[in-house]
Amino acid sequence: MANHADSGHPKQSDSLDRRSMMRLMGSASGIGLAANMNQITALGESRLNDQLRASGKRVILLWLAGGASQLETWDPKPGRPTGGPFAQIQTTVPGIGISELMPKMSTHLEDTAIIRSLNTKIADHGTAYELMDTGRVKEAGVDFPHLGAILARELGNIESKVPDYVSMYTSTEGRRKGSAGFLGGRYNPMFLTDAMMPENIQRLESITDTDHRERAELRDTLSKLFARHHSHPSFEGHNSAYGRVRGLMASDYLFDIEREPESIRAQYGPTQFGQQCLVARRLVEAGVPFVKVARAWWDSHGQNFETHQELCADLDHCMSTLLDDLKERGLLENTLVISLGEFGRTPSINGSLGRDHFASAWSCTLSGCGIQGGSVYGKTDENGNTVVEGEMSAGDLYSTIFAALGIDHTKEYMLGSRPIPIADFDSTPCYSILT
Amino acid sequence: MPSPHPDHRYRSPSLAASVIIIAVINLLSAGAAWCDSDAARQIIQLAERIDQEIESQNADRLPRQTLSDAGYLRRVTLDLAGRIPTIAEIKQYEDLDLPDKRLQVTTSLIQSPDFAYHQRNELDTFLLRPLNHDREWRSYLLEATKENRPWDSIFREIMTPEETQPEDLRPTAFLKHRLGDLDKLANDSSVIWFGVNIGCAKCHDHPLVDDWKQEHYYGISSFFKRTYRSKKGLIGERFDGKVKFDTTSGESKDADFMFLTGTKVTEPELSLDAEVLKQYQEQIKKAEQDDAAETPPQPLFRPRQQLVDLALSDQQQRFFAKNIVNRTWARFFGRGIVHPLDQIHSGNPASHPTLLAILTDDFINSGYNVQRLIHAITLSVAYSQALPMTESDSPSHGENKLENQSDRGVRYFQHAEPRPLSPHQLSLSLLIATGNPEKTAEQISNPDWEQDRGKLEERSEGLAQKLEIPGENFQVPVSEALWFSNSSEMQNQYLGGGKDHLVGYLNEIEDPSAIISQAMFATLGREATSEEQVVLSKYFEQRNEQRVDTIKNIVWALVCSPEFRFNH
Repeated sequence: MANHADSGHPKQSDSLDRRSMMRLMGSASGIGLAANMNQITALGESRLNDQLRASGKRVILLWLAGGASQLETWDPKPGRPTGGPFAQIQTTVPGIGISELMPKMSTHLEDTAIIRSLNTKIADHGTAYELMDTGRVKEAGVDFPHLGAILARELGNIESKVPDYVSMYTSTEGRRKGSAGFLGGRYNPMFLTDAMMPENIQRLESITDTDHRERAELRDTLSKLFARHHSHPSFEGHNSAYGRVRGLMASDYLFDIEREPESIRAQYGPTQFGQQCLVARRLVEAGVPFVKVARAWWDSHGQNFETHQELCADLDHCMSTLLDDLKERGLLENTLVISLGEFGRTPSINGSLGRDHFASAWSCTLSGCGIQGGSVYGKTDENGNTVVEGEMSAGDLYSTIFAALGIDHTKEYMLGSRPIPIADFDSTPCYSILT
Repeated sequence: MPSPHPDHRYRSPSLAASVIIIAVINLLSAGAAWCDSDAARQIIQLAERIDQEIESQNADRLPRQTLSDAGYLRRVTLDLAGRIPTIAEIKQYEDLDLPDKRLQVTTSLIQSPDFAYHQRNELDTFLLRPLNHDREWRSYLLEATKENRPWDSIFREIMTPEETQPEDLRPTAFLKHRLGDLDKLANDSSVIWFGVNIGCAKCHDHPLVDDWKQEHYYGISSFFKRTYRSKKGLIGERFDGKVKFDTTSGESKDADFMFLTGTKVTEPELSLDAEVLKQYQEQIKKAEQDDAAETPPQPLFRPRQQLVDLALSDQQQRFFAKNIVNRTWARFFGRGIVHPLDQIHSGNPASHPTLLAILTDDFINSGYNVQRLIHAITLSVAYSQALPMTESDSPSHGENKLENQSDRGVRYFQHAEPRPLSPHQLSLSLLIATGNPEKTAEQISNPDWEQDRGKLEERSEGLAQKLEIPGENFQVPVSEALWFSNSSEMQNQYLGGGKDHLVGYLNEIEDPSAIISQAMFATLGREATSEEQVVLSKYFEQRNEQRVDTIKNIVWALVCSPEFRFNH
């Protein structure tokens, strides 16, 4: 749609003469005309970390909404009363076994670290989701930013032409948008719910591309005239949002997987999760720092094993394909892939052959950027009821994620006079799984 | 700020006639008699006290500049009516040759139906909107704002709905949407009604604020601990239930019913025998689960009601009053006298303590009259200050000096701070700006305006719900810019070319410079500067084949400007 020909409309040479506009504005340059979001970091931090940004780190979060079972994925307990019907298979990394429901990942662990010792304590969906999406326990009166917003801010380029936080969540169950909290609307996610294409990112057919561009230029010119007498960071922030529109529109092709060769699309497969993983790869390849792809709904209070047979097959296939694809393109060393949910599932099997919410001893994985592949961190007891080695909190996981990306986990945001560290107080990165 | 080029002011004979007729009708409704009343004189005096206090803190004699008539009218109409003024209203105001015309216009706006609707929207945003959009609750708020219900009454109705109007479930929404989370209920209540964020004192005494101890946090929580909601939707209190907490030294404590000032309420011994108590507890449990269940009895000692009584008692009411005075001030200045607004404590003193005391006293003595406070604020000279001057306008050129002056200027209310429009302000203003200005002016001056304003509210709701509610450090999200740039609603509805729309209306005007002037007035409430005229005329000339689209694009560029997006 955005690329159709502009028949019957003036070419650029006939259009509004930009040079004459600039002349009209006289010496307007240098009076703070450039929209610069750096100036509205009213949180007290004026300089963003340019060095990091230049290094181009990216994150894809595979969000297992509802809570996947660690026993049917990364921490099987074969032969134990809690083990369930599935076997453990050896992986290509000596000494590491995972559930037989993850056969493809069993040959893809060389870039992945498995964490088996999360103890995050909170086991209701809403609160646990907040905990795992912000890395800290909710506190009344403070609106903490979600991981995507923190990383959009830490890894994104303020003038980026591509989105810096894309979140895909097409299921209705457990859908949550994600919030930039006190970091402000600049870091809100571009949220895809119903369609694969973000809302309002494509030009309407009823306006030509020339008109669309020229009216944006006209808006810009008028705003600059206004700024000559009224300069303020709020106005600059407004201009900056409009300044990103055309760039974002030009990135619409990133969401269009039809542009991928048939062979690549076939690799990712026909499931929606697969297609969204492919979109995620396209996005990080183009420089989008954070993409969240949600796969629902793992909340298997009944029929846990059938549920996991189906969902693990999708996860196993898509995650291994994604890792392969990123690696082949040379993107994996700068892209961190996280698989995580709000909690795991009880080792005990209930009367409906289900597993319930469980946050005391569960698993997640980190792959790629900054991660020591082929490693396992932490250990649960023989039935999987408790962590016996390397207990990790949500804050510790966040610290580890930040450290893997080269972000100082002790860095603080200032909320008024109150310092808020980006990873919760007293959290420590797990250095043994970092390169 | 006065326009630098008054010679470019547009004079259109075709429009002028209708504008004047409307202007006269509108002026008659301004309540001229009221302006001579005692109440009016008191408000004027209060406005003068505000200015004395603001001036007394301006030791640096920072340069100040007062808004033009059109600039003041845009600001005050957005602030009191929740929308931009129409072309007719601007012309009327500019042409009005009276020494007390600000009194006239503020009175007229406050007495208009717009004010009650706007107050309702503001209250909703403050009290509930971020959590829930609740139509019933909004209708309750509108009822309250229409009759300028005193703030203490609103507080009572919302916090103890079962005491004030047990049959009416609408005001229960505040409690209802927070009941699932005691921490949120307690802290939100403390922030909203008293300006004190105690969240940080949950796990330990507040690390940065000496005033707030763990005891305060759990003290406030205690007042809410027994609150429940029946399946029918009625709010009630249980007969028992205490908040327990662990101190940092590991000691386990029962929390007292303690207000933020440290004043405690002692619970009388419960004189029920165990059997009856058990029966009541079961009745409550049943009522929570079954909407056919009988309404359980209320205990004699009801902690939430105790909190409300305590907060409004002669000794404690200043806490409560000071908070809303400070918040109301911040609404009109973009910054509180105590700032941040949820940090009213001894470590964060007011920038103008005497002013805050004067306004708080007046507020209490006037019977918690929010309207009177708002009226006085909007009549003050301080309120009518322009934005800070930029380097090119300022007499002093040193960059650092300018920056410091600007910061100080905001802190001491020497000049205005741009404030983002709320979702409703923006959505309503977009409807007004892109509508046919003559039709809108006629509608507003019509006796049916109250009804039509209600309809306008309904129409504005869709967009308002899409927009982000501005908080501290608000940044316009790119999703908003994308909506304005690419949504079919914007292109086809707001920028429609029919007779009910500005684009269609402008298309009937022949002279391009008249079109430009009218477009500027309709959207930005002012005349085009000579530079804008040149830029826009040129745009027009180059595109004379596509007249309607050209007009559309101009209107789009104006409503998407920062000047439109903010109140300044």
